[in-house]
Amino acid sequence: MNALELTDVRKVYTMGDGSDVVALDRSNLTVAEDEIIALVGPSGSGKTTLCSMAGGILSPTEGRIVVAGEDISDYGDKELTKFRQESIGFVFQSVNLVPFLNAKENLTVVDELGARTGKEAQRRADDLLGELGLGDRKQNMPSQLSGGQRQRVAIGRALMNDPKLVLFDEPTSSLDTELGEQVMELIRTEMKRRGTAAIVVTHDERITEFCDRSVHIVDGRLES
Amino acid sequence: MFLALKEMSRAKTRFGLLVAAIALLVFLILFQQSLQNGLITGFVGAIRNQNAPVLVYSVDGQRVIQGSIITPDLEAEVRDVDGLGTVGRLGQGTFTATSTTSSGDSLDATILGYELGDDGQGLGAPSELVDGRYPSGELEAVGSTGGDDAFAVGDTVVLQPGGFEIEIVGVADDIQLNVSPTLFVSYSTWSDAVQSVNPDAGEPLPNVMVAAPAEGVTADQLVTDINDRSLDLDALTRDDAASETPGVAQVQQSFQLIFLLYGLVVPCVTGLFFLIVTLQKADALTLLRAIGAPAKRLVASLLIQVVLMIGGGLVIGTALYFPLTVTGLGGLELRFETGAVLFWSILLLTLGVASSLVAARRVLRIDPIEATTGAGVGA
Ligand SMILES: Nc1ncnc2c1ncn2[C@@H]1O[C@H](COP(=O)(O)OP(=O)(O)OP(=O)(O)O)[C@@H](O)[C@H]1O
Ligand SMILES: [Mg+2]
Repeated sequence: MNALELTDVRKVYTMGDGSDVVALDRSNLTVAEDEIIALVGPSGSGKTTLCSMAGGILSPTEGRIVVAGEDISDYGDKELTKFRQESIGFVFQSVNLVPFLNAKENLTVVDELGARTGKEAQRRADDLLGELGLGDRKQNMPSQLSGGQRQRVAIGRALMNDPKLVLFDEPTSSLDTELGEQVMELIRTEMKRRGTAAIVVTHDERITEFCDRSVHIVDGRLES
Repeated sequence: MFLALKEMSRAKTRFGLLVAAIALLVFLILFQQSLQNGLITGFVGAIRNQNAPVLVYSVDGQRVIQGSIITPDLEAEVRDVDGLGTVGRLGQGTFTATSTTSSGDSLDATILGYELGDDGQGLGAPSELVDGRYPSGELEAVGSTGGDDAFAVGDTVVLQPGGFEIEIVGVADDIQLNVSPTLFVSYSTWSDAVQSVNPDAGEPLPNVMVAAPAEGVTADQLVTDINDRSLDLDALTRDDAASETPGVAQVQQSFQLIFLLYGLVVPCVTGLFFLIVTLQKADALTLLRAIGAPAKRLVASLLIQVVLMIGGGLVIGTALYFPLTVTGLGGLELRFETGAVLFWSILLLTLGVASSLVAARRVLRIDPIEATTGAGVGA
């Protein structure tokens, strides 16, 4: 089963003055079950818009969105919330951690909001932080972590719910080249180990080396 | 629970300050509630806590016992009213006195004289004693407790000038009049006392009549009957007589104004605090919504915090207030008002939760899409 199928997906924003902004135009995209896709394009081209719709944060104006067999095109607020909680992993462009929770709690909060498995979630968070090289930083607050460490905690958080699809919105933009490549290496390892599909948004062509395939987007149009 | 508690444990100073502020306000509210009740009981406790259901003043007394005088004509009118069960005279006077307990210092005592009856519990007697017995004859008194001039069984009170001596044989709580130490004696002892300090005055007239309705007649009915009988009589039920005493309503009004202010300040402080906190953590809330936190969960977490903060403030405020009610304050006796504690707890919790609905609305309005741009609800 494909991790993601976008069929003729369109997103139009109506501005205050009545004019329309087409953020994404009739796009088709298929991401296979364990595929890592690089979504490359200039600023304002619609990368975040596409990821937001694939991740159930934003509803499309037109078109069908199917994630791991689940059609979310017509979902309402509550259904989307539950869908995000259960099926999607997110690493956002800017804010990624809850400042009043420590590294480990930023992972376990995912369980608290959803299934509440308790001990099992604790073990899972420990395992993930260990894999991400943060075994000795579990109790640190976000403000006590470096940029790269914070990004790794965010990756752990995105994997906590065992998602069908993980969306990384410019995961390396705030990191220097070397650190960025380390984080990408980590993302690739983690995704492949689990066989989880991912979309990695980037401006940076070098990042695409860590992905299975690149998809380019310009002015809201996908080009394969 | 998880989010609510974690956040509070990571921002102890901030949340601690709010609890402290609420605790202080709760303390002030409860303290002033006791102060109000203490003051009013000091003013009119003697009226409230005597056993006659109806008091009859002369109209020109303007509902002050000392100002009212019942002439023999008026007394005859009262005694003639249908529906009257029993009736008696009550006399009041203020005296300079020394007491064996107050180590020679003179005090201003109020003396109320009522007709003892067979058991000392005739109309106008204190409803309940905490120690000793009711007077059984002349020169015996039930004294008031409370304040620095509390009487004890066995004390002797000497009126000045003249050296008229009265012995305390019983004591009762909350029977002060005009916030002064008060004695309940037999009507004839009161009459003798008045003449002892002022030998030329002759026999004093009673100040008010105390009455009880006949069987099958209510106190309200008796009040109406007496007032219909004569334009010069002013009958009041016990509770009305207490609350209509000049000054009592004004005291109550002033305190009510203060309580109204508190009732506004507490929810304002809580509401603003949580609104600010919510705006400050808007990014985190948006992130949580984006990763699948139902809005309701975030609102619940907010409300848990509100209830815990106000609950904590109530507990600490009450704990601060308790010792004051044990020691009292100068001449005033302050009681631990369980009713007031419950009333204010429920009121402040309700108002606090209501005031935090502004913050809750902000939480509900969060659009998770803002997590993708980094603009939270505060933006
Ligand atoms: N809420 C909105 N209202 C109106 N227009 C919007 C809104 N969000 C995005 N857009 C517009 O949609 C287009 C695509 O935006 P999007 O954020 O997807 O770009 P992006 O490729 O992620 O850019 P960047 O690389 O800078 O993050 C832009 O022209 C943007 O101005
Ligand atoms: Mg973007």
